[in-house]
Amino acid sequence: MEEFSENESWKNWFNRHGPKLLLCARQWTVSMADAEDVVQEAFVRFWRRQRGLAGEPLALLLTSVRRAGLDIARRRMRRAAREAGAMAEEPGPLFERLPEGDDRRAAIESALGRLPPEQREVLALKIWGGLTFAQAADQLGIPPSTAASRYRYALAALRHELTSADCHG
Amino acid sequence: MDDDFRDLEAELGRLRPAAPRRELVSRIERDLAPRRAAPRRWLWVAMPAAAALAAAAVLWVRWEAAPAREAPAARPAATPAMKPVAVRDVLVGSRDEGYVVLADGWPARRLREAHLDTIIWKDPRSAASLQWSVPREEIRIVPVNFQ
Repeated sequence: MEEFSENESWKNWFNRHGPKLLLCARQWTVSMADAEDVVQEAFVRFWRRQRGLAGEPLALLLTSVRRAGLDIARRRMRRAAREAGAMAEEPGPLFERLPEGDDRRAAIESALGRLPPEQREVLALKIWGGLTFAQAADQLGIPPSTAASRYRYALAALRHELTSADCHG
Repeated sequence: MDDDFRDLEAELGRLRPAAPRRELVSRIERDLAPRRAAPRRWLWVAMPAAAALAAAAVLWVRWEAAPAREAPAARPAATPAMKPVAVRDVLVGSRDEGYVVLADGWPARRLREAHLDTIIWKDPRSAASLQWSVPREEIRIVPVNFQ
């Protein structure tokens, strides 16, 4: 994982890591607005008070993002139960468009959306968050072997989904 | 991880997470902007209190030091058993500042009074005494009944 420089400006750091944070935040929130809120909250807290702490900054930030995401999801669920007719929000793409065409990206996003959340979060932390299995397991409070097996199930399910999509055009 | 998944992992790894919207960056920018120091209104309360405490400390130290220099043999070994023996409140002056209207609409008179509070301590064993006078200003709001 990339080292953190004390003299680096927050904008440079955020430009490099913000997309990963936002993508992971979207695994634990129900809308883009919530994901942005938790990234903002976690990043501002990190930059003001936690960037001098030992450890990997991205892992620390992902922990904050996950906690904030789960908190906000719980609050949203309680509110949604009260306001049953709330309008669904257009979530926006998870990934940037591919130069060779957007169908494949859309198919992958769609397949990701159908994965069980506990598999999707391991996949996001490992591939786009850049964490090891041990770090991802630590984030999620599960044994590393469980993280590894969820990751494997996620890849298998994704491959199955994408192959089916290819077969059916 | 299995070779089976290597291609898929590589494909997923090539996907770049979408960049945050400009609005999110602006929100963080606002949060991280240096804040201007708030006016220190509390100083107006804290400074007189600190001055009063400092004055009390000076008085106490001087009182402690003086008998030791003058009559060290006569001073008891234990800490002085000073006890407050009298408290006096002298009204030095009063000024009527006219009528004011209270929050509930009732008229009232505003009186500004100057007091001199005096506290006297004595040590019954040595007959030493300490007198401390503190000026105090009091503003009294007295509701008025015109009936």
